[in-house]
Amino acid sequence: MDEDMIFDPSLKKKKKKKTGFDIDAALAEQENTSVEAPAETGDVDVPDDDNLDLDTFGKKKKKKKKFFNLEEIENALPETPPAEEPEPQEEDAVDDLVLEIDFSKSKKKKKKKNNVDDLTVEDDIKGEDQENVEDVHGDWIGSDRDYTYDELLERVFDIMREKNPSMVSGKKQKFIMRPPQVVRIGTKKTSFANFTEICKTLHRQPKHLLDFLLAELGTSGSVDGNSQLIIKGRFQQKQIENVLRRYIKEYVTCHTCRSPDTILQKDTRLFFLQCETCGSRCSVASIKSGFQAVTGKRAAIRAKTA
Amino acid sequence: MSIQNLNTFDPFADAIKSSEDDVQDGLVHVRIQQRNGRKTLTTVQGLSSEYDLKKIVRACKKEFACNGTVVEHPEYGEVLQLQGDQRENICQWLTKSGLVKPEQLKVHGF
Ligand SMILES: [Zn+2]
Repeated sequence: MDEDMIFDPSLKKKKKKKTGFDIDAALAEQENTSVEAPAETGDVDVPDDDNLDLDTFGKKKKKKKKFFNLEEIENALPETPPAEEPEPQEEDAVDDLVLEIDFSKSKKKKKKKNNVDDLTVEDDIKGEDQENVEDVHGDWIGSDRDYTYDELLERVFDIMREKNPSMVSGKKQKFIMRPPQVVRIGTKKTSFANFTEICKTLHRQPKHLLDFLLAELGTSGSVDGNSQLIIKGRFQQKQIENVLRRYIKEYVTCHTCRSPDTILQKDTRLFFLQCETCGSRCSVASIKSGFQAVTGKRAAIRAKTA
Repeated sequence: MSIQNLNTFDPFADAIKSSEDDVQDGLVHVRIQQRNGRKTLTTVQGLSSEYDLKKIVRACKKEFACNGTVVEHPEYGEVLQLQGDQRENICQWLTKSGLVKPEQLKVHGF
């Protein structure tokens, strides 16, 4: 029951802190813990728990909670409320984050809610995540002995790695970017209002991003007087996000270390991505719109082929 | 810069590219284009000219229940056109039939 008392309040606290994850804070906290933990072995649960707080929330914590409930203090807490309660809050948190954080949101939200603020390419994340979850829990199920300092330390680091896959490489990557503001104009055109702003954030020439967007979307468009991009065709924000994400993967983040601190240089006919962090230099695919079907009137097709 | 050998950069990548040139980069490009209204068009560019695209399009039309044609383009060769967003379908079909390796497929669009 003691454990129950400790866990319960922190669970709620945790949920509220969900917005915006800060690596620095987590690191600082982690250091604190490593100092405290050996001193008060009896209370290890407390600092450990705080750590989780900062570190974030969501699934792992919930799972852990479940494990404790089920295996140790079976009837102490009804299991359902903690499991359901977080749902609406998570939704809120997600919405808040969108404003300031990247746009990896849409996909993640579906797959894994607690990963909203990981900024790295998500393919790499999934595998690691799951492994860690298994690992970590394995050691803790059904034990009510005191946890050793080493175990706690390992646990904290596992959690941190799980939540921040970019740290695994020992590097800190922050890539904060506003989502594209996409508005329909009439029925046939779409405005990408903060196009110029996004180019600035990415440190890329508007022309380069423009070429890529138009080639990928198979359409035409131009930047108007208000520095917004007007695209022919109807596109949703999500779709533009997808294309932007691909652009960032290919032309912004370093192919070796994934740092966004890169320069795109044109050398003869090829573009090279020069990384300011690790010094790598890769050639990147040139932008080609390739084959464009004639979608106008039939007369136009005939005129072209004739 | 001093450890460039360790990078994933392939120094011969350019050589391959320039010899086959921009048009045929060995990839099969699957693109989507919007037409009027909510209609879309899927194009498949870069299929080997050894294949009979007419046969392919006939099979696809039946399989995906959509219309399609083969368009001859001076620069890109024969291009497959299918009505609607058939990107998933065509990718699956091309890999399943063994005509294209998964790594050769490049899907564009939103
Ligand atoms: Zn790098």
